Amino acid sequence: MGATEPAGFLYPFIDAEERDPRPLLAELAASARAKAAESAALQRATLAACADLVAAGGAAMAERFAAGGRLYAFGNGGSSTDGATFAALFAAPPVSTPPVSTPPASSPLASSPLACRPLPALNLTADQAVLTALGNDVGFDVIFSNDVGFDVIFSRQIIAHARAGDIAVAFSTSGSSRDLMAALGEARRRRLLTVGFAGYDGGEMARSDVVDYCFVVRSQSVHRIQESQAILGYHLWAATQQAMHKTVDRCVHPDVHNRPSSGPNPNGGTE
Amino acid sequence: MTSGMTAELLDGGLAEDLATASLAMARRFACGATLWCVAPGWEPHAHHMAVEFVHPVIVGTRALPAFALTGSDLVQRARVAVRAGDILVAVAAARDGVVSDLMRRAPAWGATSAWIGSGPRPAAGAADHVLWIDDQDAMAPATGGFVFLYHLLWELTHVCFEHPGLLEPEPQAANDACITCGDEGRLAEVVGPASDDLDPSGFGTSDLGTPSLGSPGLGSRALVRTAAGQETIDVTLVAPVSVGDLVLVHAGAALTRPGGG
Repeated sequence: MGATEPAGFLYPFIDAEERDPRPLLAELAASARAKAAESAALQRATLAACADLVAAGGAAMAERFAAGGRLYAFGNGGSSTDGATFAALFAAPPVSTPPVSTPPASSPLASSPLACRPLPALNLTADQAVLTALGNDVGFDVIFSNDVGFDVIFSRQIIAHARAGDIAVAFSTSGSSRDLMAALGEARRRRLLTVGFAGYDGGEMARSDVVDYCFVVRSQSVHRIQESQAILGYHLWAATQQAMHKTVDRCVHPDVHNRPSSGPNPNGGTE
Repeated sequence: MTSGMTAELLDGGLAEDLATASLAMARRFACGATLWCVAPGWEPHAHHMAVEFVHPVIVGTRALPAFALTGSDLVQRARVAVRAGDILVAVAAARDGVVSDLMRRAPAWGATSAWIGSGPRPAAGAADHVLWIDDQDAMAPATGGFVFLYHLLWELTHVCFEHPGLLEPEPQAANDACITCGDEGRLAEVVGPASDDLDPSGFGTSDLGTPSLGSPGLGSRALVRTAAGQETIDVTLVAPVSVGDLVLVHAGAALTRPGGG
């Protein structure tokens, strides 16, 4: 029942006989505007609160990339797709194709006339064979006493793919998903840079000590959190790009194959 | 404005466009529609939109049928997947040829179409609902604006479910019909030769080497798909036609091809 019929709950049959869509359409449009204002206000507040963290996180990520590091993004549900968009932004920046025009004055890249550099970034939810293999494998509970099935879908991929110097980026609205926390913990043990996106009060990501850069969108709405995480991710990418231009100048030779070994795997899996 | 910020996104009538699109989607869902989501340049958006409807973030909200269509040959995949009464929503730039083609064919498949994007707009009427951000920033797909738009489509669609009296199918625009025969001009997509015309001589070959129908001296009837289902029509006036061609049908005959068809 809409705001236009405050007594509708007393007479449910009235709603069923509602025929004129105009009041509802006006209500929907007003709701859309209110949500847009709410979303924008949260984006502004979040960017302001996280400005220093974005600059520092971007610089740290640029150092890892310059030394040959890779980025792995992951999340659950809608957040998995936001992680995929984030990874795609690094791997295939929309404006990277030459000639690069000057970004709009409003863009965080406006001060940089340099090209956006494609960087190695992968999305750990892209492969359904890997996801379902890991999610289905109850045998892992023998190895990881607290993790069964779905909880290992990202941590096992970190074990398989990652090396010291890589970057793990987890997207969550609660900040507490067990599969993400397991992966971030594994990433920390393997000396990856760890980045977390969370909502609400930051959840486990904010409380634990395994996240180097934890970006918290302080809202109770999953949708508004995701919208602010998107623009945060974009600014983090832009900060990384800007830092890359500075870092690469003093980077001797970013050869991934000459990096020091990360040593034997502490949890080397079943192989 | 700061790049991609949602503050000014709803200028220029977009709030009203979202309202209209949401009511149309709710009406279709109420009749059993499936939502098909495509985003050829940014496939994660197709997946994100679909999961919003399939697994809602608000506990107790009804789960609705929605799929992301991804990969290659989206037109053929959508042609097979989409049923009359379904909803097809795309996230893409106006210059995206595949999405443009999908939106053009949607009426022949009986699907309600919506096109989400930013930058230069598609041509007027390119989709039933054009939900557009007039932001020239190429980064718009990655700054949350599109996520916000399909979040709102989901939120507003569910508000409409609280108004069952408004969920009846949209009334047919009666004044579109011909006053002589009662039929209207309907978009149709050529499926193949007429079923009673299956003699191989009914198939000609177009210049492109694809099977064509209604070539001079060959069969002049074709099986087509419209929003109302499949029917056999006369294609003499637009011959030759090929499988997949779009034609406008009136009173059992293809009268012309839609612009660019």
